[in-house]
Amino acid sequence: MIPDLQAAERTITRGRILTLFSLLLLAGIYVMAFKFTPPEAMQGLAFKILYVHAPSAWAAESAFVLVGVTGILYFWLKDPRLDIFAEASAEVGMVFGTVILTTGPIWGRTIWGAYWAWDPRLTFTLLLYLIFAGYFALRSAVRDPAERARFSAVLGIMGMLLVPFIHLTVFLFNSQHPTPVLMAPQKSPLPWVLLRPLLMSLVVFTLLYFGFVTTRYGIGLRRAALEGSDA
Amino acid sequence: MPDNGNYMIAAYIVATVIILGYTVSLWRRSGKR
Repeated sequence: MIPDLQAAERTITRGRILTLFSLLLLAGIYVMAFKFTPPEAMQGLAFKILYVHAPSAWAAESAFVLVGVTGILYFWLKDPRLDIFAEASAEVGMVFGTVILTTGPIWGRTIWGAYWAWDPRLTFTLLLYLIFAGYFALRSAVRDPAERARFSAVLGIMGMLLVPFIHLTVFLFNSQHPTPVLMAPQKSPLPWVLLRPLLMSLVVFTLLYFGFVTTRYGIGLRRAALEGSDA
Repeated sequence: MPDNGNYMIAAYIVATVIILGYTVSLWRRSGKR
């Protein structure tokens, strides 16, 4: 099925609106984090890096899970739009992955005294990032759209399988990385005043993910419509 | 409490540059056929 051009343009417009809206909310999160959130008692101001670091991890890992899910659906439905979405989601996941892998070391430098440690959580996050870097190398190396969609779906599914493992690394291994303050077996140890910006930031980063991925998906649909290709 | 506000500012600047940079990239790509 060849995506139609008008639908692609509508998708791009929706994505742009959602992206702009999310960026405004993100500015609100910055104001909240800087102005209305006190420094944490042990870590001081550096603790506020949490409000961009953890939501980026959430957005990136959700993006990579969606690449895997659409990969599975592609094998079932053979709809080329699923491959276009998977590519869009992987690209947006890489953007948020870059945020994790840059803000994390800055935080680590001041709290651990080192930018990087070969800790299981950090190492597997880097591995996941490299898998998706390989995903784009693979896509650019295969010319036939159907073959490209199949190969990248396999790699996307493998990447997805790594995500729950990364979540569990801090429980399975003797890890330096803190355990999650959310999505953990125990109640969050953070007081409400420090937890509130995190919850709001998670919502904003989720919206930003959808804004980015919708725009990028629209670009992919338009490219497919213009090329008239059918994977 | 440690004095590490510079690290916080650095992390926020890096995150903002990446996010806004990607937004600009998407904007340019979505604008042209």
